Amino acid sequence: MSEPVNPSVDSPEYPPELARLPPGRHGLPREFVARNQRERLIAGLAEAVAEQGYAGTTIAHITRHAAVSRRTFYEHFSSKDECFVAAYDTVMAELRRRVDDAFNQEDEWPQAVRAGIGAMLEFLTAEPHLARLSMVEALVAGPVVVERYDAAIQGLVPYFEAGRKGRPAEVLAGLSPSTEEALVGGMVSLISRRVFADRTEELESLLPDLTEFALTPYLGSAEAAKVARQG
Amino acid sequence: MASKSTPRPLPGQHQLSREFIAQHQRARIVNALALEVSEKGYRNVTVADIVKRAGIARNTFYGNFGSKEDCFLAAQQFAMSAALGRVVEAAGEIDDWPYRVEAGLAAFLHFVAEEPALARTCMVDALAAAPTSVRYYEESLQSFVSLFRLGRDVSPHGGKLPETIEEALIGGVFWIIYQRLLEEQPERIEELLPELVEFTLTPYLGADRARVVAVEGDGASAASGSRG
Repeated sequence: MSEPVNPSVDSPEYPPELARLPPGRHGLPREFVARNQRERLIAGLAEAVAEQGYAGTTIAHITRHAAVSRRTFYEHFSSKDECFVAAYDTVMAELRRRVDDAFNQEDEWPQAVRAGIGAMLEFLTAEPHLARLSMVEALVAGPVVVERYDAAIQGLVPYFEAGRKGRPAEVLAGLSPSTEEALVGGMVSLISRRVFADRTEELESLLPDLTEFALTPYLGSAEAAKVARQG
Repeated sequence: MASKSTPRPLPGQHQLSREFIAQHQRARIVNALALEVSEKGYRNVTVADIVKRAGIARNTFYGNFGSKEDCFLAAQQFAMSAALGRVVEAAGEIDDWPYRVEAGLAAFLHFVAEEPALARTCMVDALAAAPTSVRYYEESLQSFVSLFRLGRDVSPHGGKLPETIEEALIGGVFWIIYQRLLEEQPERIEELLPELVEFTLTPYLGADRARVVAVEGDGASAASGSRG
């Protein structure tokens, strides 16, 4: 088994907050110096939550990981919740950027779906702590984050709706209005169950299954399977 | 069993056994928690709120549950086993698999529409309560997997379906119901039946056949053999 290639710490691919985030398989060095305190606090929260879980994380944990004072924390955030929201938004923005890039690089919609799913799985596999923060801890981090979580999932709907374009009339007639919602809900459920069970390393192997699941309503089983299994 | 000191009888409940009173208290506490959580959200509910609503002593709460989280899990498990019971009862009556799935889904949706507070506890609040409740939610999805998996036997390409298809389909169904519950439209839940039937049957039977089952009517007509 070869280790996946990850961007290096100072790669422009990583925004500063994420570059400071807890080392996953890539082994980002802790001595990497963040550019400002807010970024350090966000990274500190992600490290603390990875260690303690959301409920067990205190402001003292966050400031210790961020190596800033308690006063500095309160200059940027009024509470742990607010800091978590900032971290969640940072992670999701990065995830969305990667999915967008992968999706837009493909000319054909079925291949674009496959690439988008692949990009998401790759990110979550490479960053198990961030996967946990965004898919498990987010759910217990209070109503504000749960609302954002729901919105983030519903935000994936348009990638699938794009698949209706140019489909034959009899296929379109068979797609109910909630098809896309059900697809994203099903995919997220499959992914989050593995993240929850600390089986993040299995995520990338889900690519063919998730692709086939997502494409079947539009292309039928046989064609969906073909796209899903192509290298 | 027999204790030497006679327990002081509760007012108006002299004839009831200790076990009955204990059971009854448990149910009352769980119910109080469900109501409090649906009004304030899990995080804002305190043990004091639950105790007040249930009309019991704080000691009684801790005699039944170790914590608020414990109590929430009991509520969630009660709600989920009630829902599953309905599904198993409805689906078990039907041999023809596509109609069996339809009957199971119909029973589940009916439960959600009839008991929105209980459904909310196990499908909405459970996801935002505690890691243990999220884990239980995820595990309860698995209970539905076996019902769907039988579809592989009647599918022309059952052997080639992805290993995870059932998990994904059930996750999708739950997500749609969860969204409608968040929108606080429990009365519209049962209208989802045809789309959910079609969505879940399509991978096994193809879109055309799935649509036929979905538009044919409810599980009850299938059960009485009035279709076709």
